[in-house]
Amino acid sequence: MAKWAVELLLGGAVLTGCAFALSGWAARADWAWRLPWLPWLVVAVTALSVLTVPYWRYRVHRWEISSDVVYLRIGALQRQWLLVPVSRIQTVDAQQNWLERLLRLATLRISTASHEGSSELVGLPLPTATSLASELAHRAHALRDDAT
Amino acid sequence: MSGGERPLPEGAPRRLSPLTWIVGAVRETLALLAVAVTALLVSEGGAGLYFAMAALGFGLVHQVVRWWTFTYAVTDDRIVLRHQLIGRSVKTIPLERVRGVDITAGFLHRLLGLAVLRIDAASDGDEGVLNAVSRREAERLRELLLGRREEPSREHVIARADLSWYRYAPLSGAYLLTPFALIGSLLGTLYNLNNEFGLVSEGTLSHLGDTVVGLPPILGVLALLLLALVMPVASVLVFTWFNWDFTLRAVPGEDDKGALAAERGLVSRRSVTLERRRVRGVELRDNPLERRKNVARLTALVTGLGDAEHRGRLLPTAPRETVLHVAEEVVGKFKEPLTGHPRAALTRRLVRAVLPPLAVSVLAVASGPLWLAIVAAVATVAAVPLALDRYAQLGHASGGGLLSVRSGSLVRNQQIIEHRAVVGWRFRQSLFQRRRDLVTLTVAVGAGEGAYDALDLSEEDALRLASCVEPDWITPFLATPPKPPADPREPPAS
Repeated sequence: MAKWAVELLLGGAVLTGCAFALSGWAARADWAWRLPWLPWLVVAVTALSVLTVPYWRYRVHRWEISSDVVYLRIGALQRQWLLVPVSRIQTVDAQQNWLERLLRLATLRISTASHEGSSELVGLPLPTATSLASELAHRAHALRDDAT
Repeated sequence: MSGGERPLPEGAPRRLSPLTWIVGAVRETLALLAVAVTALLVSEGGAGLYFAMAALGFGLVHQVVRWWTFTYAVTDDRIVLRHQLIGRSVKTIPLERVRGVDITAGFLHRLLGLAVLRIDAASDGDEGVLNAVSRREAERLRELLLGRREEPSREHVIARADLSWYRYAPLSGAYLLTPFALIGSLLGTLYNLNNEFGLVSEGTLSHLGDTVVGLPPILGVLALLLLALVMPVASVLVFTWFNWDFTLRAVPGEDDKGALAAERGLVSRRSVTLERRRVRGVELRDNPLERRKNVARLTALVTGLGDAEHRGRLLPTAPRETVLHVAEEVVGKFKEPLTGHPRAALTRRLVRAVLPPLAVSVLAVASGPLWLAIVAAVATVAAVPLALDRYAQLGHASGGGLLSVRSGSLVRNQQIIEHRAVVGWRFRQSLFQRRRDLVTLTVAVGAGEGAYDALDLSEEDALRLASCVEPDWITPFLATPPKPPADPREPPAS
């Protein structure tokens, strides 16, 4: 089995931000149409989703890295399982946007020669992400074959 | 100073053939002539004509300056394209990054013994263009760039278009419709011209309409018949235009495999050279008509190739036998029979094909126009055999270092992909698929379109197909199989 496995997931903060933006937009949007209930609906949906979706996502997002394969599972309604052999990885980027910086999280972007084989690991703690990135890049280099 | 004629030391900057600007000039003259004639017709000469003349002069000077300021040089390890006048642009392509060379010669180019050379580099959509060099120089550069100097005798022809192949042209929608596309764009241009110059007034148009309506219906039937007769002929002509004397050659190289060179075209001749070690697989494509005649088209799946649809072309519409022979030559023999997909996939095909037109017809019956309801109902009925065929064509197999997936009906695609080209697997399962235990397996490939789907596999088949390539990648996860993960509620371990 995997030499080591860490399981983790995205905090709901990103989603909260989006939801707040959405409700803000909706609050401004009611000048055009007389839909005073719309912002409230959005707020209600937002509140509900903020409460449930992050948890839900947290439950379904899984990743695992064995000695030669990166394994990713995402999606609640449409499930997806992604397997990327380490030997086929071209680049590994650890990225942070402002919110992630605030929360000390990072996104790991794994790209291969094909867009379908490329993937993102969202919401890793920063130290994990950076160490993973260098580790993966190192191993990808070592295992590299000529298939580009 | 012109390329190729006098022996220059390798690495010295060379210019493109001086004949280049003649080609450019002739082209511009023709274009401007057309404009000038229209201008004359519309406004009886005057400013338009002078304007056109001035533009012509300017264009000529521009061509000469371009030719004068553009140089290229091939050194041991790279080719440098330099264009400098006031600003300067230098493009350097390392020779090891060159993936293929594409030589095209239009009508004028052929007349003057020139060719346009396109260099496919491994960077993102970047390519070097030499427009244009002499034919001989193009050949020399091709050998130089692809790192081999082979005497032509060692090349051997893998396949050559047979005269009988031209009969297959009407089977393909593309060739059948190309004449229409041409006519359409012509009409579009006319319409635009009309808008600008007011050549045709509203009156003439409506008059024309009246005349058409006033004609006896028998003429309309005749016109349709004529069209039905002309279309296949035109499609053969188009096919000939693009694919005349299609020849696929194997060029032996220093490394294990060498290259493939495909040459085609009647008036403008195009020759594409692909490095074999970049070829990761092939794609067979056909439609129901072509299936009946047992013919197919063949395309190579190549890593990092721009315009792959045209450059990767290995065979035009050709007999299946030849196609399979070429496929074998290119990627090796693939003789595994394709495994069909489970019955549940058929239900899904049916639902997917029938539901949209059915919904439209229901809506139309409820509140829409009658004709829409009829059309939608016909579409619904027609969708059933389509779905059946779509199901029948689904298939996958793996063996001998190759794997293959097939899908589609109106355009059926079968990809044969080398195992080493697989860069990842993506299993997808929607809510509906989950109920039926189906999975769509996407094979991520570092070539061609980047990914190919095996639709609606059973879960075991999906895993089996995926583990065919490299069991080590899949088996570690079989304990927690990709289907229902063993324990999703595991707490995070860090």
